[in-house]
Amino acid sequence: MMPERKAPDRLKNVVLCFVALLLFALLMFPLYWMAVTSLKNEIEIFKVPPTLVPQVLNTTSYFAQLKHGDFNMFRSFKNSFVISSSVMLIALVLAIPASYGIARFRFKGKRLIILSFLVTQMLPVSVLLTPMFIVFKNVHLLNTQFSAILADATIGIPFSVLILIGYFTSIPKELEDASRIDGCNRLSTFLLVFLPIASPGVVVCAVFSFLYGWGDLAYGMTFLQDQAMRPITAGIFNFMGQYGTKWSYLTAFAVVTIIPVIVIFIFMQRYIISGLTSGAVKG
Amino acid sequence: MNLIKRYFSNGNIGYLFVLPAAVYMLLLVGYPIVSNFILSFQDVTVTTLNKLQKPFVGFRNYRLLLGDGVLQPSLANTFVFTLCCIVLQFIIGFALALYFNRSFSFSKPIRGLLMIPWMIPMTVTALMFKFMFSSNVGIVNQFLQACGLIGQPIEWLLQPRLAMLSLVIANTWIGIPFNMILISTGLTTIPADLMEAASIDGASARQSFFHIILPMLKPVIESVLILGFIYTFKVFDLVFVMTNGGPVNTTQLLSTYSYKLSFTLFKYSQGAATANILFLILFAVSIVYLKFVYDDGKAA
Repeated sequence: MMPERKAPDRLKNVVLCFVALLLFALLMFPLYWMAVTSLKNEIEIFKVPPTLVPQVLNTTSYFAQLKHGDFNMFRSFKNSFVISSSVMLIALVLAIPASYGIARFRFKGKRLIILSFLVTQMLPVSVLLTPMFIVFKNVHLLNTQFSAILADATIGIPFSVLILIGYFTSIPKELEDASRIDGCNRLSTFLLVFLPIASPGVVVCAVFSFLYGWGDLAYGMTFLQDQAMRPITAGIFNFMGQYGTKWSYLTAFAVVTIIPVIVIFIFMQRYIISGLTSGAVKG
Repeated sequence: MNLIKRYFSNGNIGYLFVLPAAVYMLLLVGYPIVSNFILSFQDVTVTTLNKLQKPFVGFRNYRLLLGDGVLQPSLANTFVFTLCCIVLQFIIGFALALYFNRSFSFSKPIRGLLMIPWMIPMTVTALMFKFMFSSNVGIVNQFLQACGLIGQPIEWLLQPRLAMLSLVIANTWIGIPFNMILISTGLTTIPADLMEAASIDGASARQSFFHIILPMLKPVIESVLILGFIYTFKVFDLVFVMTNGGPVNTTQLLSTYSYKLSFTLFKYSQGAATANILFLILFAVSIVYLKFVYDDGKAA
């Protein structure tokens, strides 16, 4: 792509890269520090001056969790996984048809529907928490994971609808007509023509809906009182209250929580950036 | 039957596709908003929660809140927190966007990786910064002491102003990627020949920044700032985990105060009223935002 670089250009490139790496290291330092702390023992954590890499590698903070039942972080991990996957499923099942309907049909009130989805994205959790709590209590959904799942999906659905409208609108009418002439009915046109073209958008929605479920604290800790059912974020919060300054355990807990986020980020980076540029909210 | 068939034969069949999602959102978002509004005019506490008949008390909850000495500071704190965060994250995000907009070997991959803070659950971010700002083991104090800038460890999270500063720093860390990516995207829409023509005409970097980049990015800057306001104004998890409004309500925000009223003090109606104030402010700003977006003709 680039024409061959002259010497000053090459030097400039090296300097730019160097400064970029410095900026990167500076901004990512908190994450590094958390990961390193989770691998130190308590004595080393208190050491002054602090050590940048663990002098003695200590993995007990992770394995101790496997034995104790009380604050088992792997159980919380599983809970979060169940909640987030269900949120993802609900968001996709509802958002795909909705966005298809909005994008491909003309009907009254369409603009209002789009606007209400946009506004829902900007709602504070606080305004929904108290009334949802009362409703879930009345219909006996409190202390079941359904409550957290149902609540978390309210963030993923509007986001997914808005993203997918863009994908479905961009598909030319001719393509639809051609497949109809070839003998596809509406449903098979949707499944065989529309869905494959919109699949990158579907992936974006799946990833973000999952992450919204994964990151939620407010709903999970308010609607679920039993520690055995709570998501990992609420688990950490409890753990902080209990073991306030046991930082090796706390940071290990935090590292386990972000592992799926980092894995998703590594494999889905393209989709995540595309979601972010289309204005993903911070769930 | 025929009538139904005819009704759905044209575009109206679109309703059927939207219906499930619309019903879901009406039940789980629309109803709670209305219910929260009504709740704020009733007297629902832990004792009246299970009664069918809930006493209507008019504006009493709002009057009580105005007199409790916490609501106004929380409102002020929310604005201070939000404004500090959006200014900081905007400046840093903009600077990073400009830097990574230049073409060099690692520009794209590093810019991508810088998105990570935005993806991480806020609970984890809160824990991380709470650790870094802790007075006895925090790296911030250790660093400042090593540099000789402070003699004694500072109690970051126990002193009102410093606690607010710590929260602003933590939230800015989350917000930088969001500002950077949206401004980066905006920068790529500025035609390269425009910048080239300016530099041929002898414009300095400073001049092209103020006379080309800023005006061209105006719509992007507007939406980044307003969206930043909306997302920051409603932050809950971060503050709840890091300071929980303390010390003595000096970092109490509307979101955390509402939570405290409802779920620690079980004054559900006062919690709802506080959430309602938060909601009305955000709703007004959202309408302003949507008007901007539509005026710029880049509607969804």
